[in-house]
Amino acid sequence: MGSNLSRSARVFWSSAVLAKKALFSWLSPSLWLMQLFTLSLFQIAFFVYVTKYVDNPDISITYVAVGNALQSIAYVSVFSVSNITSEEKWQGTLTPILATPANRFSLFIGRAMFQIFNGILTVAIAFFYAAVIFGVDFSNTDMVSLILVVLVTSFAMTGFGLMISSLGLYLRTAMVIANIFLFIGLLLCGVNFPVSYLPSWLQPISHAIPMTYGTDAARAAVSGSSVFDISGLLLQELAVGIVALVVGYILFMVFENVARRKGTMEEF
Amino acid sequence: MPRAQAMWSSFKHQALIFLADPQWIIPNIIAPFVLTLVALMLFRDVTGPVVLYAVLGGGMMGMWGNTLYSSGWSIESDRWNGTLESVLATPSPLIWIIAGRTMWNALIGIINAILIFVIAEVVFHAPVSIADPLLFFLALFLTLLSLSALGLVFCSFFVLTRSGRVLTNGLEFPIYVGTGTMFPIALLPFWTHPLSLSLGPTWGIDAMRYAAIEGYAGLEIGFAGDMLVMFALTGVYLAISIWLFVVMEKRARRDATLGRY
Repeated sequence: MGSNLSRSARVFWSSAVLAKKALFSWLSPSLWLMQLFTLSLFQIAFFVYVTKYVDNPDISITYVAVGNALQSIAYVSVFSVSNITSEEKWQGTLTPILATPANRFSLFIGRAMFQIFNGILTVAIAFFYAAVIFGVDFSNTDMVSLILVVLVTSFAMTGFGLMISSLGLYLRTAMVIANIFLFIGLLLCGVNFPVSYLPSWLQPISHAIPMTYGTDAARAAVSGSSVFDISGLLLQELAVGIVALVVGYILFMVFENVARRKGTMEEF
Repeated sequence: MPRAQAMWSSFKHQALIFLADPQWIIPNIIAPFVLTLVALMLFRDVTGPVVLYAVLGGGMMGMWGNTLYSSGWSIESDRWNGTLESVLATPSPLIWIIAGRTMWNALIGIINAILIFVIAEVVFHAPVSIADPLLFFLALFLTLLSLSALGLVFCSFFVLTRSGRVLTNGLEFPIYVGTGTMFPIALLPFWTHPLSLSLGPTWGIDAMRYAAIEGYAGLEIGFAGDMLVMFALTGVYLAISIWLFVVMEKRARRDATLGRY
């Protein structure tokens, strides 16, 4: 039991270190920084200016800026994480990896670790823009609550991204689905308008995505709610993230079996 | 003539690649499509020509999304497939080959825009009544050419870098914001206005609004003025992209960094 655990921990750590090294082997640090500092800025700007123009009394600049700041996490935790298996396919490294006896769960969670860190940084910068450029008032914010929201959302959305990534093992590429889920959150997760605006048949889908709880919790934290006040939302978000992670793991094992049986591991 | 032939062959080749794997249109159009839906939700209690801002902006974003991703991937997919060196070894200058691909992508871009207009009308019942359809489609077509020329400028940089994908992702929203696709650029900070006005599509979307919305007064130089400025800027983009392609191609050959990945 103990040795199994330490083996898994070793796989997890080496996978996390390798993923970071692999990323910076093709992405220069300057470009990474540029991406970090620009992606959220223009997304928030776009929706803030549309909101200013529409002047809908139900939706304030703060509502939109906070929603988009948190949603900027999706660029890394959904898009980058979703493409993990597809990237391995493209690089021709999927077969050798799956030929090892390494624990798959540790392996792919490890792969996503740097993106969790990346996601947290992205959101921190996005909230900075919300305050400095778009004038969101953070004076009442409960900082402990907001930090907790960011941590939980980053973890839960990475779980969601890993679930999509499992599909990449079966499909030719997860890139198409990753793109859909990257942007669909803007529509479904209460980022720019309340979920109640959506047709009733779409609302259950919103509640199956962790970000929906995250955006509500972040707004509550910005307006001063304590950790205790938002604990319900955070627990729901965490639960959805864990379910996504477990479903993703099951899908991964199923698709790995199918690919082994059919000899289609690197078909794309 | 051989250059036109190279362009035509490249156009046909791009069409065949697209038809062999049409799923790639999804990454190109999903962002503009979703952003338009979000905007239409925000505009839901608004009536009148203001809603047309969202619909027209959605169409323009659809064209830019397609142009940008196609330009970004044009060189990148060659690099991944190991065909970049072969393409550069042909006697036809790279820009003619890329231009052929861009033409096909532009055609798909128009389809994107029309798809967004149709969905806005059918699903959201947005009033897509165009005051002068002839002028509108003329502006739409020339805006697409302007976007394609802008895409060519970016594409020339992608010859040198293996980070075309990252740059492509980062260039989508800045153009949506800078050109005021869904809001008047007057809302942007004053210091950004020169940047916005140096983008051909800013004038293109203004021309589309002139043609679509009766009594519209945007940049206040009228439809013809918008078209003239956009035409001039497109010419500048083309001249820059031709020069850049030559420079970048020479540099990539000299440094032997083409297939570096």
